[in-house]
Amino acid sequence: MPKNVAITGNGAMAEAMRQINPDVVAAFPITPSTQVIEDFAKFVNDGKVDTELITVESEHSAMSACIGASAAGGRVMTATSSNGMALMWEMLYIAASMRQPVLMTLVNRAMSAPINIHCDHGDSMGARDAGWIQIYAENHQEAYDNMIMAPVIGENMDVRLPVMVCMDGFLISHSVETMQIEDDQQVSEFVGEKVPLNSLFDTDKPVSWGALDLQDYYIEHRRGQLEAMYKAKSVIEDVSKRFAEQFGRKYDLFESYRLEDAERVIVAINSVAGELKEVVDELREQGEKVGLLKIRVFRPFPYEDISKALEGCKIVTVMDRSTSMGAYGPLFGEISNALYNLEDRPLLYNRTYGLGGREMLLDDLKDVFQESKDYLNNGKVEKIFDFLKVRGA
Amino acid sequence: MSDKYRLKNWQELPFGGVITEGGNAADYETGTWRTWRPVWKEENCIHCLTCWVFCPENAFALKDGKTPGGKDRKEIREIDYFYCKGCGLCAKECPVNKKGKKEAVEFIREET
Repeated sequence: MPKNVAITGNGAMAEAMRQINPDVVAAFPITPSTQVIEDFAKFVNDGKVDTELITVESEHSAMSACIGASAAGGRVMTATSSNGMALMWEMLYIAASMRQPVLMTLVNRAMSAPINIHCDHGDSMGARDAGWIQIYAENHQEAYDNMIMAPVIGENMDVRLPVMVCMDGFLISHSVETMQIEDDQQVSEFVGEKVPLNSLFDTDKPVSWGALDLQDYYIEHRRGQLEAMYKAKSVIEDVSKRFAEQFGRKYDLFESYRLEDAERVIVAINSVAGELKEVVDELREQGEKVGLLKIRVFRPFPYEDISKALEGCKIVTVMDRSTSMGAYGPLFGEISNALYNLEDRPLLYNRTYGLGGREMLLDDLKDVFQESKDYLNNGKVEKIFDFLKVRGA
Repeated sequence: MSDKYRLKNWQELPFGGVITEGGNAADYETGTWRTWRPVWKEENCIHCLTCWVFCPENAFALKDGKTPGGKDRKEIREIDYFYCKGCGLCAKECPVNKKGKKEAVEFIREET
């Protein structure tokens, strides 16, 4: 039976892993994702899953073990954060290019230095070109739901790509929220069995993984990998639809919140979207035409759909919770790309917020909408790029 | 050229660069890399097979032969330019070449 529980985000992810019952989990602890594997290790110890849990000596080894186990045909999962994922760096690319649908809980945490354990998206945004499908979550329920969908998406025969399910460190991972954990049997049926592809265990049909490509083939393999990303878009839509039919919660590639007639729109990712909805509701009550576009799927990035969703609005504020030093924010870049070919482009600018866990309160977000109102009234954007809530600004 | 050696389009490749057949390095034409070319001089060759031992691409093809004393041995038949990548190891290691009087493997610029 499905049950409503009060649980942390990490606890919810461990529950999802228990229900998915992967063949292999290889992980190394790092705050704030540690509890995912701690909880899961209890399930292993208590015999609630059939998983081989490998406690490796580093994140690089964790991802290496995941890739090997996946190439052997297993369903494989891991969890990490921040510098932990950074240590996986080369293996992230290899997992994707070898088309191994490894599943990862990425609890977003700021990159060092200075050492900071709190939330921003610098880790996953830095890995956006690695070839992983990236799905983001506003809250506990979404993170859990995304993880239940992740194996079905990544292991689809047209896709076969690793999937990173991202949620905000501490804000989601360590806070307790009431959410629905679905029925074990139903989840198990929904995720199904992984179909091995060129398994290393298939001794009747031996294969070599990880061979060399030169100038004459590398680009063709990359092109094939890109095709998988293109196909992933409709697969994510299909799986989300199936998920809605089975469990009742509906997800699109992104969420349009009161966008229909919105003039001023904020585009954002993850937990801040929850606050933004409060602010949008409040401002709507005061007659202001504001809306929110919340990104769910960042890779593959749904350019055309987003451009259609934002067509007709007058000003767009893109809020990035990470910074690409010397460039505009990564989300801003994508939104800008999506909007460029519109005949009637909205005004567009970028605000960086929340690095290292700096809080954004409801009043802070009202200020963001106020600024967009001023810009719209003046008919121009004064500052394309700026940090929010930084002392000395 | 047979289809086996045709460069494939991206749609034809197995996922993730996996190699699904054993020994298929033999299908790969390393000869396209060559900018220098070894030329075997049969008349100077003593069939010691040093070149065959050193060749990293298995480009020296062998045949059955006899020693001057009449014993069975393997002899060099030809250089297979499908595989020869022009590294020059054969010419460098050839003991006839090393003596300096004549060459059993000449190493010359590939004509373009």
